[in-house]
Amino acid sequence: MVGVALRRLAQTGLAVWALASVVFLLSYRDIDAAVRLALPDATEATAGPGAGSAADQATQQAALRQRLGLDLPLFYLSRTTDPQLHWVKWRWNGAHNQYHHWAMGLARGNWGVSFRTGEAVTARLGRALSFTLPLTGTAAFLAVLCAFGLGQRLARRPRGHSLLQAALVVLHALPLFVVALALLLTLANPEVVAWFPAYGLQAADAGLDTWSQAGQYALHLVLPVAALTLTALPELTLHLSGALTRELRSDYATTARAKGLTEQAIIRHHALRNALLPTITLIAELLPALVAGAVVVEVVFALPGMGRLLADAAAARDYPVLVGGILLIGAARLLALLLADLVYFWADPRIRWHS
Amino acid sequence: MALLTPAFRRWSQWLAVLWLGVVVLVAALAPVLPLPYPPNSPDLANIATPPLEAVGHWLGTDPQGRDVLSILVFGARTAVLLTLPAAVLAAVLGALAGGAAGFWGNATRLAVPYWLLGGGVGWWALQLPVPLLGLVVAAVGLGMALLFGVRKQRFPSWPIPLNAVVVGAATTLDTVPRLVLVVAMAAGTGVSIPGLLVLLTLTSWPLPARLVRAQMLRVRTLPFVEAAQAAGISPQRVWMRHALPHALQPLRTSLPLSVAGLLGLESTLSFLGIGLAPDVASWGRLMATIRNEPSAWWAFVFPALCLIISIISLNSLSRHRAAQEKLLP
Repeated sequence: MVGVALRRLAQTGLAVWALASVVFLLSYRDIDAAVRLALPDATEATAGPGAGSAADQATQQAALRQRLGLDLPLFYLSRTTDPQLHWVKWRWNGAHNQYHHWAMGLARGNWGVSFRTGEAVTARLGRALSFTLPLTGTAAFLAVLCAFGLGQRLARRPRGHSLLQAALVVLHALPLFVVALALLLTLANPEVVAWFPAYGLQAADAGLDTWSQAGQYALHLVLPVAALTLTALPELTLHLSGALTRELRSDYATTARAKGLTEQAIIRHHALRNALLPTITLIAELLPALVAGAVVVEVVFALPGMGRLLADAAAARDYPVLVGGILLIGAARLLALLLADLVYFWADPRIRWHS
Repeated sequence: MALLTPAFRRWSQWLAVLWLGVVVLVAALAPVLPLPYPPNSPDLANIATPPLEAVGHWLGTDPQGRDVLSILVFGARTAVLLTLPAAVLAAVLGALAGGAAGFWGNATRLAVPYWLLGGGVGWWALQLPVPLLGLVVAAVGLGMALLFGVRKQRFPSWPIPLNAVVVGAATTLDTVPRLVLVVAMAAGTGVSIPGLLVLLTLTSWPLPARLVRAQMLRVRTLPFVEAAQAAGISPQRVWMRHALPHALQPLRTSLPLSVAGLLGLESTLSFLGIGLAPDVASWGRLMATIRNEPSAWWAFVFPALCLIISIISLNSLSRHRAAQEKLLP
């Protein structure tokens, strides 16, 4: 068991590294655009009348490239085509290349510097994560809790809850951004009801005491958490209730019924643990999936979190932040796998005996 | 589920097929449909007008003055042209990769001369350092093949780690959620429709590959495969003609689901403003305009309804096929 878990962790770690490397190496395709976008006055310089000449811009770009280390070759090997002869030449660059520097820095805990703001990537990711983690954590917790409640109810009386089931099926078909927009338009719209604020979390925290700040924060989080929970809920519930229904049809459940146990006791003490096993995998998938969901929700509600950071970094070609984000999500995935294995170990004695 | 009695199921089935047929038909005929306004020409006299208020704008206009109806029609075209080929390509790619991985596993062996030949030609074709070296290696492989062929000896052989390669690639793509991966890669690979199609295909083949591989592991052990092998049919032919058609069963239910997932992904991407160019009409982008103009409900409700009905239809199609399969012996 431990060996299998360690092997899976090693495989996933390798996969995360490979993905981050691919995204890093893809960055060469438009590194020019990245440099242009990273210049502080990229738009004004081209539009304004008093802007510097083309030569000025070229020197600025060259200086920026040197500062960010982009003048080095990208990888250990580089390929150049001779324009006259069309003869492809390969050059060995040694350890003095961008990829090597990046990987070595990563090993020492230095994740690089954002092209856009010049801050350390870890600082930006950490700030965004301190916002996203409460959001996704609350949503995951609520979704699992509701799924357990609803799943048990559905399994107990499958005929009586067809409306609930139909509602869950419809909700399952809705993309997250539709749910988020619908919530925003109905509950945070001055023309319908404005119970919750729509935007502007950062403006709220000036000149207030701690309690009202916390209240503001919670009020801003209600709609995003609701949207994430509503989209994560149907799959979990339908899955769990399906598994429970199957278990309740098996022989040991009939025996328990013959002993005179109530349906609730059968579910709680006999069937739930067996039905849990396939659901654990889904719950483990929930953590990385919610980070992806955070991309949508944070863009809709204009929250300064991880997903928004990634979307902005992708739009601005800020590759160090993008690669750092992928590494971080991969790490979340690793953690989820580890947790799932531990929970399997706890839930199923057969796995314990086999190991 | 009491709601899904057989009669209701048949009706919902017909409705789903009808709706999907209408969407595909509209998408195919979009350029020749007699629309009052083309999708990309803003009508600046009627900005954000409600449905049926301005002449010719039956479903109203969005905050930039573009006709909602024609954006819906051309958005359907974008969605169909993007998701259907991507789902089919991903299914084909996944079926081939997963089927091969399931049938041969890691055990199949290839004789060394062929390895040398393939490696050498690949080296030369990719123009890796010193291309001539590749040709030399390929020539050595060819020479060995001829030599051993003349002497009728058995070649030494090396195993091909087919299963490990396919499963490893699928795991790699599955570690990071698809949306994040596509967002990160769309930044580096540009925003054209073919580029996005390739990206969607490359990120969605792991699921069909896993399904087909699992089914193939089951099919491989069935008596008819053994009988075909015993009859002396070559392994490639057994794989292609006998085993693979049976291993494709799970794709019947997963293909509609895959299209539904891609539909959601495409509209999410264009809602986020990543992937497609701004002048390409799409449902997601139309829905995004409501954030600037919260009172223009028609710019949100109509595309959202189209999207949701399409996804529910695809889901019910998939469920119907799953139910059909359960009835089969």
